[in-house]
Parts: sequence; C-alpha cells; structure tokens
Amino acid sequence: MTFRDLVTVSLGNLWRMKLRSFLTISGVVIAIAAFVSMLSFGAGNQKFITEQYTRLGLFTTMQVSERRASDGDTTEPAVLDNETLVLLSEIPGVNLAFPLDAFEVTVAFNDTVVTREAQGLPAVALSTGMFSQLEAGTAISSDSARQVMVDRDFLRGLGIDSVESAIGRTMRVSVSQARVDSGLAYLAQGVGDRVREEFSRLDFDSLFDDERYGRRLVYTGINEALKRFTTGFLQHRALIEDTLEICGVYHVGHGGMRRGRDLIIPTHSAIRFSTGGFTGDITDFYAALSSGSLFPEEGEISYKTYPQITLDLDPTVPFGPIKDSVEALGYRAFSFAEEFEEIQQAFIYFNMALAMVGLIALVTASLGIVNTMLMSIIERRREIGVLKSLGADESSIRWLFLAESGVIGALGSASGILFGWTIARIASAIAQAVMESKGLDPVDIFALPLWLVAIAFSFGLAVSLIAGYYPAARAARVDPMEALRAE
Amino acid sequence: MTSDITLRTIDICRFYRRGPQTVKAVDGVDIEVKKGEFAAIVGSSGSGKSTLLALLAGLDTPTSGVLEVDGISLQSLSRKELAAYRANRVGVVFQSFNLIPHYTALRNVEMGLYFNQTPYRERRRIAGDMLDRLGLGDRIDHRPADLSGGEQQRVALARALAKQPDILFADEPTGNLDEENSAQVASLFDELSGRGLTIVLVTHDMALARKHAHRLVRLSYGRVVTETGEVQS
Ligand SMILES: Nc1ncnc2c1ncn2[C@@H]1O[C@H](COP(=O)(O)OP(=O)(O)OP(=O)(O)O)[C@@H](O)[C@H]1O
Ligand SMILES: [Mg+2]
Repeated sequence: MTFRDLVTVSLGNLWRMKLRSFLTISGVVIAIAAFVSMLSFGAGNQKFITEQYTRLGLFTTMQVSERRASDGDTTEPAVLDNETLVLLSEIPGVNLAFPLDAFEVTVAFNDTVVTREAQGLPAVALSTGMFSQLEAGTAISSDSARQVMVDRDFLRGLGIDSVESAIGRTMRVSVSQARVDSGLAYLAQGVGDRVREEFSRLDFDSLFDDERYGRRLVYTGINEALKRFTTGFLQHRALIEDTLEICGVYHVGHGGMRRGRDLIIPTHSAIRFSTGGFTGDITDFYAALSSGSLFPEEGEISYKTYPQITLDLDPTVPFGPIKDSVEALGYRAFSFAEEFEEIQQAFIYFNMALAMVGLIALVTASLGIVNTMLMSIIERRREIGVLKSLGADESSIRWLFLAESGVIGALGSASGILFGWTIARIASAIAQAVMESKGLDPVDIFALPLWLVAIAFSFGLAVSLIAGYYPAARAARVDPMEALRAE
Repeated sequence: MTSDITLRTIDICRFYRRGPQTVKAVDGVDIEVKKGEFAAIVGSSGSGKSTLLALLAGLDTPTSGVLEVDGISLQSLSRKELAAYRANRVGVVFQSFNLIPHYTALRNVEMGLYFNQTPYRERRRIAGDMLDRLGLGDRIDHRPADLSGGEQQRVALARALAKQPDILFADEPTGNLDEENSAQVASLFDELSGRGLTIVLVTHDMALARKHAHRLVRLSYGRVVTETGEVQS
C-alpha cells in the first residue's frame, strides 16, 4: 500500500463515520486551538518586548551607577562625575557615555504652565539607538541649539494630539534656583540686628565664669545664622529662563519599561539650568559645599555628580568584557541585554505553563482518538480479515489504522491552528479595545510565529499517532480466520 | 521431481479445541496438486473442505503435519512472508464472499491488488476489465448490498483473479449461480487452467467437479476418502 492509498482509505473511513469522526477531530481541534491561542499570547508578549528592546536600543545600552555600599567593603564608592564620563568613554566598545542629568523645570506653553522633568543630553547621544525613534521632527541639532524635544504623552497632556503640528512652536522653559549669594545676602542683612539684640542680653559675668554659657552663646549664634541662610537660600530664588523651539517629538516605551523624561534639552541649556545654582533640596548645597564647588564660574561645567551614566555600546563587541571594565573602575553596571536574558528565561517558564494547558486538553483528546479507533477496529474486524486474506501483512494493517489516527491528528491540528488563531485575533481585538479605552496605545499581544504553527501541528500529529498506536497494533494482530468467521 | 508439484500436504491436521471437546476439522490429509492442475474438493457439509482450503491458502496454520508450496514449507515462513505468499501467489474466493460492504464492486476488486505493488492506475484498469469479463461491467459502482448473491460471488471471483495468482482457491464459487452462470464460470476456470493457473475448487456440485476437474478429492469427517486423479480424460 502506498502513502496515497493509506490516506484515501483513511479519509474514506472517516467520511463514512462522519459524526464520530467530527467529534473525535473536534477534540483535537479544541486542544490545539487552546494550545495555539495560549502560546500565541506568550509569543506575542515576547515579540513585543523584544521589539521594544530593539527599538529603544536597549541591547546596545549599559547603565552605570554608583556601587551600593556592601558589607565588608571599606572603600568609598566611586562617584559618577565628568571624569568618570571620560574614563567610561575610553573603554573599548563604548561608543558614547552620557550622564543622566534630570531636573525639574517649569514649562510655559500657550497659556499653560506646568512643572515637568527635563533631561539634558548631548547631541551625539541623541543619535544613538535609544533616542533614534522619533514620532515627528528631528533630534536636537547641536549642544548649543535653542531647541527642545518633547514626549508625545506630554504634548497630549497639553492638549496637542497632532505631534506634527507641535514642531516649530516654542515653549518657555524655566527654573527658579536657590543661589548661594541670595542666602548670604539675607544672612548678612539679618546679622546686624541680631548682634545688637544679643549684645544687650549678654551676661558678662557668666561669660567669663561659665564656659558652658559661652559655648551655648556661640551655638545659638551659628544656628541662627544657618536658619537665616537656609531661608534666604530657599526663598530668594533666581529665575533662569530659556525660550526653546520644539524640534522633535519622541515617545518612550509602554508599560514603564523605561521611565522617560518629558523633555530633552540641549546640554548647554541644561548646564545653565542645573549648575547656576541649586535645586530646592538643601542637601545638594551641602554636597557642593563638601566637594568644593560652591561657587562655580558662570557657564563652566562645574563639578557635578550624576546618579547614572548611560553607555552606548558597539553592538559587535560583547558586553561581558565592557561590564568587567566598568566594574573594575568601581561602578555598578547594569545591562538590559542581561536583563533581557532573564526575561527570556521567564518566558520559557511562562510558555511552558501555557503549553501545559493545551497539552492536558490534547491528552484528553487523545483518549477520544483511542476510543474511536478501538471502536473502529471492532466494527471492521471482518474487513481486517479480508485485507489479510488479500495479502496485507501486519505492518500494512498497522499503518492503515495509524494513518487513520494520523489523518484525525492532521485535520484536527490544522483546523485547531486556524481556530486558535481566530480566538487569538478576537482576544487581541478585545484587548486592544480595552487598552484604547484606558488611554493606552493599543498593542497586539498575540503572535503566530512559524515555529508555533510547526510545533502545534507536530504535537497534534504526534499525540494522535501515539494514541493510535495501541489500537493499530491490536488491529495488526487480528487473526484472519477468526475475523472472517465472525458474523 | 517436485518441481511440477505446486501444493503438497503430509498428514496435515487442523483441530479445534472447544473446552473438553476436540473438533477434528481436518484429520491427517495427504494431497498433492500439480502445477496447472484443476483440483476439486468435494464432500458433505462439515467435512472440512473450507478448513483445508484455508490451510492451503496460508490463512490458517495446521495443528500438525507439513504443508508445502513449491517445496517450501509454509510453516517455515515468517508472518510477513506468509502475507507475501497470499498477496502475490494466491487468490481466494470465500464461500461467504467476504466483500467489503462499504466499497463499490470496483473498489472491492481493486483491493485484491493493494498488496502486490500494482500501481494505482493499473489497479483501476485491471479491476474494471475483470468485472467486465465476468459480466458486471455495468455494476462497477454498486455496493455489495445492491448486488444479488450471484453477482457478489462474481465480484469475489474478480477480486481473486485480478492479481493473476499462481493458485486460485475457490470455495463454492458457483453455489449461488444458476446453471447458465455456473457453466460460464466453469468454462472460465477451464480457460484459466488451460493457461497454467492451478485451481483448487471446493464444490457440492459433483457433476461440475467430474466434468471440469483433473483431480477429485473427497473428504469425509476431515479425512480423504477417495482421491481420483485425471478424472477428465
Ligand atoms: N472455529 C471453529 N471452531 C470449532 N469448530 C469449527 C471451527 N471451524 C470449523 N469447525 C468445524 O469444523 C468442521 C469443518 O468445517 P468446515 O467449515 O471446514 O466444513 P465444510 O466442509 O466447509 O462445510 P460446508 O460444506 O458446509 O461449507 C465443522 O464440523 C465445523 O463445525
Ligand atoms: Mg465450507
């Protein structure tokens, strides 16, 4: 018997028992559909995350931060400063090192005034993969350009839905900064009154007799002075302002994968905004005090530390050695590529869990196949006897019945894949509608890669053949004389 | 010496054990059928004719004794080789036809060619021709249930002959045929025998056996009672 004979005979038999075949095949269809729709969800998510990573250039990005002080580590953790930037950019395989330099700004656009977080970025950094995907417009042209790039969602928040229309419009960006001089001025202004008042209350005897009295006096004085300085520092702020033209609109990933800043401004403006004074946080002032950069020269890049430095990597260089070099400098390196490997690992378990559901259904369906085939053999005992009398050997009979369960498996799997994909499409449409109603970007989280089709089909076929094996072996052992005698 | 002997049995037995009882369906039979010979097995009902035929056709295995085809013992063959013997050399017409009820006449005849590597197109043509020759050319699309007993018998015969076997085993192939059709089948047998086909025919019809067979084997209670060679002169 040829393969063609096997298939035509099997199809004929299944066609003859339409209802029974339909029910048996349906079992496989449902199982494979469950398998496919479940795994297409896993595959869709995986595809989406991979695309996001690629789109954002995260495979070629490494984040460098201060090493967390750990037990037994006596050395001071190395800080991230401009010197670090130079050191890091000299590591082979590092295309570019740029700092995370974020600060709050006040944005005035049309009649709206809002406070948002801005980040200064050198123009070169904007040409890396991480920032290469623009929704509209172009990247900031140079470090001294009076341009700004804004996030799409930020624009939406301002009531601008068409990103294109925003290009070329200007916005006023400002920071109000506490400055050391304003603090000192306020201190000096208050000191005269203070001294006179204190002087009138002085108890000279105690001053000379009691050491503690003197000390208390000094402490109170210093405390008072600091209080005055801080008040001045915080309340008498200078306003630094820039009018910038919107040159590009970007959009940073969904799902909080990478927290994006609302604005990206050129380095030059960023330096003006962030180094001319201090933010509202008094600790910054003390940090500058201890590092000796209390009074930077105007316009000069002062001593500055960053919470994080981003490295843009040459994709042809393996990240392992780069990471080692960064760590050798005393920093902590975090690479998204590594994180991605963990995500991939997690997806394997996720997919396995999903596949289990489909496989359990498939096992149930296979019991249906066993049942159908055993019934078929009982009904066709005489036919088996005839076939044997005509010269069919055991393997022919076995193949004949295996082919039948194979056809059940093949038809069931093929229809199951189509059905499962239909379910996935419907689920995807619903999910996207929900996302849209929640104001999120609709994302297709279902995918049907070729490997999934291949695996689903092979699984369906393999399980059906395994299910058909025992009945087929039983059919092959039928004694022709007994079978022919049976009425 | 044995080269012109196609079939030979030596003290062949087939017993059926049913609890304490033993049915000796075939009980020590020695027969020889030469190549191209037309042998007829006759005997009363229950004398073991069908059982002996099944043994000779390689469908059943003897309880004891030797069964040789062209000098080779069938018992020495593997199951696969035995299947090949049935597929390539033997055509069987059963007493109860044993047609597959859900297949058409044509398909039933085709089935006879499934296991001897006949290509698909050939199969169709040969099966159609064979049914034509047996006068069923216009019934090829009918299922057995739509055919009369005689027509079914002829389909069964067509199925056995389609593969052009070396030996034809026929169990009452004329049992359901009227005289005219019986005579037709008998003359077909004569023709085939004349072309070198070895035929073993089981029949009740003594007249037919006497008229056409070269050799007559009479069975009674599983034993050969008379064996006459070259009946036809
Ligand atoms: N499977 C079996 N189990 C028990 N006894 C059997 C079996 N098959 C056949 N027999 C017995 O063996 C004997 C011979 O049977 P067989 O069918 O060979 O007879 P037959 O000569 O072909 O008869 P008929 O002319 O009626 O067809 C019968 O008595 C029958 O009852
Ligand atoms: Mg009989």
